[in-house]
Amino acid sequence: MIGFDFFLDQYGIFLSIIFVFIGLMSLIYGLATVREKGHRLEFYLMLLLIIGSGVGVALSYNLLLIYVLWEVSTFAVWRAVGYYRGAGEISASSFTFLVNFAAATVMLVGLMILYVDNGTFNLFKISVISDTAAVLILIGILTKSVTIPLHIWLAPAYEAIPSAIGGSLAGIAENLGAVLFLRLFTMGHYAAPAFFNTVAWIAILSSIIGGGVALRANKLRTLLAFSTVSQLGFIILAFAVGGTYGLLGGVLYIAAHALAKSGLFYGVGVIEESTGKDDLRNVACLLRLSPVLAVSMALLIGSIVGFFPMLGFFSKLTVIIGAVEKTAYFGVGAIVAAVFTLLYSTRFYHELFFGPQCDVQKLRAKRPSYVGIAVSFVLALVSLLLGVFFYQPVHYLVSGGI
Amino acid sequence: MNEIYYVIVVPIFFGLLGFLINRLRTELDLVAFLLTLFYAIRIFIDTRTQIISYNVASFIGIDFRFYADSLAGFIVLFNAIFAILIWLYSLRAMSKTPRERVYYLYVALTLSAANGVVLSGNLIFLLLFWNVLVFSLYGLLQVGKVYSAPAARKAITIIGVSDYVMMLGIVIFFVKTGSINFPLDTKVLFTDVWLIVSYLMILVGVLAKLGTVPMHTWIPEAAKVVPASTLAYLPGSLDKLLGFYLLMRLSYYIFDISKYVPLQLTLMIIGSITIIFMALMALWQKEAQRMLAFSTVSQAGYMLLGVGTGIPIAIAGALFHMLNNVIYKSALFLSTGAVEYRTKTTNLDSLGGLGVKMPVTLFAFVVAALAISGVPPLNGFYSKWMIYQGIIETSSTINIWFVFLICAMFGSILTLAYNLKLMHSIFLGERPKELNKVREARFEMVVPALLLALVCIVFGIFAQAVPLKYLILPSVVYDIGEIGFWSPTLATLLIIVGIVVGIVVYLFGTVMKPRRTRVYVGGEILDEESARITGPNFYSSIDSVDMLKKTYDFGEGGAFDFYNFLHGAASGVAILSRDVLDRLITSLYRVFGKIVTMFGKLTSLLHTGELYNYVGWIFLGGIIILLILVF
Repeated sequence: MIGFDFFLDQYGIFLSIIFVFIGLMSLIYGLATVREKGHRLEFYLMLLLIIGSGVGVALSYNLLLIYVLWEVSTFAVWRAVGYYRGAGEISASSFTFLVNFAAATVMLVGLMILYVDNGTFNLFKISVISDTAAVLILIGILTKSVTIPLHIWLAPAYEAIPSAIGGSLAGIAENLGAVLFLRLFTMGHYAAPAFFNTVAWIAILSSIIGGGVALRANKLRTLLAFSTVSQLGFIILAFAVGGTYGLLGGVLYIAAHALAKSGLFYGVGVIEESTGKDDLRNVACLLRLSPVLAVSMALLIGSIVGFFPMLGFFSKLTVIIGAVEKTAYFGVGAIVAAVFTLLYSTRFYHELFFGPQCDVQKLRAKRPSYVGIAVSFVLALVSLLLGVFFYQPVHYLVSGGI
Repeated sequence: MNEIYYVIVVPIFFGLLGFLINRLRTELDLVAFLLTLFYAIRIFIDTRTQIISYNVASFIGIDFRFYADSLAGFIVLFNAIFAILIWLYSLRAMSKTPRERVYYLYVALTLSAANGVVLSGNLIFLLLFWNVLVFSLYGLLQVGKVYSAPAARKAITIIGVSDYVMMLGIVIFFVKTGSINFPLDTKVLFTDVWLIVSYLMILVGVLAKLGTVPMHTWIPEAAKVVPASTLAYLPGSLDKLLGFYLLMRLSYYIFDISKYVPLQLTLMIIGSITIIFMALMALWQKEAQRMLAFSTVSQAGYMLLGVGTGIPIAIAGALFHMLNNVIYKSALFLSTGAVEYRTKTTNLDSLGGLGVKMPVTLFAFVVAALAISGVPPLNGFYSKWMIYQGIIETSSTINIWFVFLICAMFGSILTLAYNLKLMHSIFLGERPKELNKVREARFEMVVPALLLALVCIVFGIFAQAVPLKYLILPSVVYDIGEIGFWSPTLATLLIIVGIVVGIVVYLFGTVMKPRRTRVYVGGEILDEESARITGPNFYSSIDSVDMLKKTYDFGEGGAFDFYNFLHGAASGVAILSRDVLDRLITSLYRVFGKIVTMFGKLTSLLHTGELYNYVGWIFLGGIIILLILVF
């Protein structure tokens, strides 16, 4: 029933490499910023658990093993969110844990139904997926991959989590739902157009609403949280429409979003640490604080928005091709969501880095942490290089298929 | 064919090198632009006789290939020429400004991306370079004279949104037709409604690049804050070249709109509206660069009008007009830039009488201003004339052709009117005292404008023999046939009428020579300086028409601004999402939490802590289990 049931394919290997790389960046940033004496080791344990469970889910073919790793990830995120031990942090972490755990339980019921129907947890041997099981598992997936209306845990979790491990939450833990969707629903066992169309529309609406909230959000981390909601909508959309372009686009999108969002998380961490403020309305003119940070944030945002030299462009393009192949209306929805992405991204960037009287005012900020800037710059650079030489990852991903 | 690679790689490679090695920047940039020009000329010559195309890579059903035909060769050549002129001008104008290094990097990057757009062999490959242009435009706008971030934000929002729409259009086209490589075997006809939608969506991207209504609003905004060289480089020349290139490619090489009247009408209506309204806005301005920005937008309307006719002569005319516009608009931007370099202002109220002090600039400016107004024998006259003739020829298919003709003519009159205002305000009239020490601008700044002005004259006098024969007609694949320039047609006559009316407007609106008397205000003699008549009030009689004035104020206040509409709509959705939907979902969760808590409290009521109570519960449980086991 359960064992070390792992297998290697292009998608799994590609995602694992991305996850481990993001985890490594988290670790480096954590070494420089996490200084609490008492429970410092907990930080590293939870970080390693998040990385390990992410890689495990990406490479496993046993649904029960996936479930166990999924819960390990939930547990690690719970501990990580409550790392600072303040009242607010503890309540946010409990909330995160409860919502995730409840959804995972619902998913477990779905997995059990699947087991009863097929007699196995082996992904390759599953032949029947009943509608009930599909819907129950979907609830777990959408909660993990923060799709509206199950996104509710993300904003409090983002606000409480240490920024070093927040990059891993944004880059690894949230993607597990999308990865499970890829493994379970897109391998051809389950053919129910209504299910996939509904999921696609939920994803598009979630993306638009998430973008809308991000456009109004003022707290830096709330903005990032809803940006994540809006971006994960694209990923779910990609897997829901499927096809060569959809799957390729979804996997690339996971990579692009994970790299960019964790980079932005570290950037925001640097900003919060150096200015002591976490509200968009109180921060301005940061171009003078660190031009390197401004450039790397511009590149990362460019990747989220999807402009060419960044990886985000090609992933967005393939997702939209996949969507239009199903129906052009999906494409229209995706573009509307993308417009919101552009609007909140430009607002975020401009309010942070520019301001009308930057030359005159005195910038009240400590020296920013160089490690944080370097980490965010490295992530931007990797997104840029993968974007310019997109032939390599794309060729790798399509050379064999699943 | 390696030249195709080189014109894309060389500018960005040497530009990046120059950015990194600041000491050798000028030399490296010179190498970059000269090499690019050299290879561009080779591409231009090669494409006169043959089509170059080859694949770089192809995967997941998309080919990444280069393709150059005569149209592409033409555009690449002028990309390189304008880049080198702007670079030459910038050497003096941008020297010792704070973000000089980045500026040159962006100029090089823009040239690379622009060449990439023109030479890419299908629409998806083109999209890559088109996206790079967004980055470089954003970067260039950030290098402002003053705080330019809001203008850059506005530009990237408008261009970005239109890029998304264009991307969707290209994807729909790709999915519906399957083959997207140039040249297409057969031109795509508008058989499917999605094909029409995809044409219109790609058109949105094109219009944003050309800067026509309603996506033009970032240009006047940027004109207030960025240097003249940036304006001349992007909205002035390269954007026009690229936008026109894609418009041509789209309308006559991929699709064929000459067989589909509704789309022709769409293009022509947008063109006419752009011409008239933007010329009216230009007439109103009190700031030179902003006026020229509106003028750039207005001229783009002529290109749209020409392409929309579907008549070969007008298409060639539109191409010629695009080239001419790029030439004289750059000359105008650069000469006002030279004035600004010396006087530190472009506000028309504080300028005047500089003609004597800056004669070379005056010459370049006057030639360009007359050319843009369509005065024969300068180049603007010929291109406009070809467009007019095309409009007249559409009379068999388009019933309201004369409306477009009148719009085009009236636009021409307005163009003359605002150019006279500009000329008068800067170079003629009375000179304010503080400008008495102004000298002619530096050599490097004057030469590009002067060269461009000379080209205006050459292209005008020898229109038939030089530009049309060697540049325009070979680049348009249509058989144009005989162009009878001197045939006494309706159009020629109307142009002359237009000029006469323009001059009458000019004479009507101004006092040729100020009468000098002493001015008394409350018994005090006013000094000459405060009694000086400035140019901007040329057409102030418009003020007296109440409705016009209100419309102007609305326009200036951004009431017709696509950007504001977009932000308004987005904020509406955002408020709905955040304050209604998100809050609703959160409160649902809260209600759920409350129910759970209440249930907990209810059960805790049963656990009172007394032993008898618990013993009772145990008995009750035992009885229930027994009952279950028995039955």
